[in-house]
Amino acid sequence: MSRQNPRLSAFIRVPFSAPRFLPLAPRLLPLTPRSLPLASCLLLLASCLLLLSACSPADRLDRILETGVLRVGMDASYPPFEYIDGEGNLVGLDVDLGRELAARLGVEARFVANLSYDGLYDALTADVVDVVISALYVDPTRMADFAYSYSYFNAGQVLVVRTGTTDIRAMADLAGRTLAVEWGSEGDVVARQWARRLASLTVLPSGTAEEALARVASGEADAAVVDHLSALQAIGKGMPLRTVGEMLTDEPYAIAVRREDGALLRAVNGALTAMEEDGTLPRLRQSWLGGP
Amino acid sequence: MSVLHDLCGKIFRIGATHGSLLLRLALLLFILWSLQPPRVLVVVGPPQEVRTTNPLVGVHTRLTDEVEEWKIQRTLQMVREMGAPWIVEFFPWAYIEPRPGQFDWAHADMVIRHARAQGLTVIARLGFVPEWARPEDTTFNYIDPEFYDEFAAFVAAFLTHYRGEVNHVIIWNEPNLSLEWGYRPVDPAAYTEMLRVVYPAAHAANPDAVVLAGALAPTLEPPGSPAGLNDLDYLEGMYAAGAAPYFDALAVHAYGTNFPPEAEPAPDVINFRRTELLRAIMEAHGDGHKPVYITEGGWNDHPRWARAVRPAQRVAYTIGAYEWARQNWPWCRAVAFWAFRYPAPLHNFQDYSTFVTPDFHPKPIYLAVQEYTGNGGMTE
Repeated sequence: MSRQNPRLSAFIRVPFSAPRFLPLAPRLLPLTPRSLPLASCLLLLASCLLLLSACSPADRLDRILETGVLRVGMDASYPPFEYIDGEGNLVGLDVDLGRELAARLGVEARFVANLSYDGLYDALTADVVDVVISALYVDPTRMADFAYSYSYFNAGQVLVVRTGTTDIRAMADLAGRTLAVEWGSEGDVVARQWARRLASLTVLPSGTAEEALARVASGEADAAVVDHLSALQAIGKGMPLRTVGEMLTDEPYAIAVRREDGALLRAVNGALTAMEEDGTLPRLRQSWLGGP
Repeated sequence: MSVLHDLCGKIFRIGATHGSLLLRLALLLFILWSLQPPRVLVVVGPPQEVRTTNPLVGVHTRLTDEVEEWKIQRTLQMVREMGAPWIVEFFPWAYIEPRPGQFDWAHADMVIRHARAQGLTVIARLGFVPEWARPEDTTFNYIDPEFYDEFAAFVAAFLTHYRGEVNHVIIWNEPNLSLEWGYRPVDPAAYTEMLRVVYPAAHAANPDAVVLAGALAPTLEPPGSPAGLNDLDYLEGMYAAGAAPYFDALAVHAYGTNFPPEAEPAPDVINFRRTELLRAIMEAHGDGHKPVYITEGGWNDHPRWARAVRPAQRVAYTIGAYEWARQNWPWCRAVAFWAFRYPAPLHNFQDYSTFVTPDFHPKPIYLAVQEYTGNGGMTE
């Protein structure tokens, strides 16, 4: 028997897509006296399937609420998302996110943090954990077995300039400029692609993203293309830098659940939406990554 | 006859009744057919040569699952333009001989034809057991000794079919891992028995054949581990079982993990120069005259993988390794790193081992190797 949870009702109201298809029904199936029995049967079948999927006894959410425990899987080796601090505590953005998620479900978070990154999905399959929160990027090839929440951080590449720079707002403004990148990185790939389009764009390969950003801060380079996390961390440390323009590439981090745990996914998405709206997620990102 | 007449009559009546519908359907099908993109015309072109400052440079391509011919051609063209004379490619037995004695060489022919046209030397990795050659509910890496003859016949058929085009064949892949040995305990003696059966068949089919053994996974698994056995002990086990007369060269997988290419080798460390430990075992058993081919290896720059390095390190280490082999390993014939390109993004750490994206964008590592081999600026 599920424990009653007043907070949960908010999550169950997450938009459900089925009604969107209803206006199409008359066009797909003209309702004539001859087709009416068929239409009724189809409607009945669809309703049964809907009920079955909604009431699936296998759904993890029921058990989480019953036991009062949300088991969160992670590979605690990736600061600042999840790691063991100097005092042996499990800390990081994903840790706080897991605790907050559990709190909003009205349960307690229990972390399984000693998983290897390669074994995160296996832990879900083997029912060792209920969710994976581990700076996990969305993998379309896994979607037959797993489902992903809304993204809570985009780790893709961004354009970074010195604070006070006003004439560089996008990659297209870099003609005749010097652009620092981490040699061999995705940002390097993006920069080289732009170098073929823009006149006299000079790409300055650097050993690390931090080195590329330092070159911008010192004035040696006009801008840098680095991953979003490196950019936020540098800004958080007080370097005179800011990001400009849209994300250049996307690498969304999301929470993973088993494919069949639809109710749990809806609950997670509801919580993430609420956390974004009430400022909790931006605060966590500011606290751990250096920027909202 | 009357049945046929009735049928024709029925069709005619349906046509008359639903003529308009059929006409519309035919029109729709015609429009759909005409909308399909034209097929890409692929011309093999004149034979090319690889220009390179280091004749050891190679890559493991992944063309097994590549369907479109122009992509196979473009992949191999980019390999040549990178200055790599060697490729390792997988030719699955089950794909080529789906039924006993019935061979389908179409895809393999396409790969070999284009590789040859680009002036590349192919090292063919052979394995992947067809269903008919293994018990039910076993994996494609499972083979019983009673089917070694069938595998040997396939190797011979392969070498016969590509005589004058492909001489190098790798017999099996990473037999020191349980998963690569059909999820059974690994067994150097059983693998040696396979070599004993395959080797004479290969040389009978092609006297110039170079039979590569090993291709062992670099691992630290101790004896008795269910996952496998470390490569050093396994190679010792092969020699103990009498493998020496049944291979012409050793295939080595030389992954650098977190270490630079010049890092000292040690039995409890997996790094690029672990190759030298395998080489020492060969020499200790009187096989110092046989060459070594690196048929997998390299570095990975995935941001999360514990055994990955930074992208800039991957570039520098890769070039450093090609150069290390050229300067220090006179017994090494090729250094083919994993992996040149995947047909599609895998969205996991494996994407961070490649030189070229699935849509043929050269990664910085590709351009750096191209520069190193004296081919800078060849690929745009």
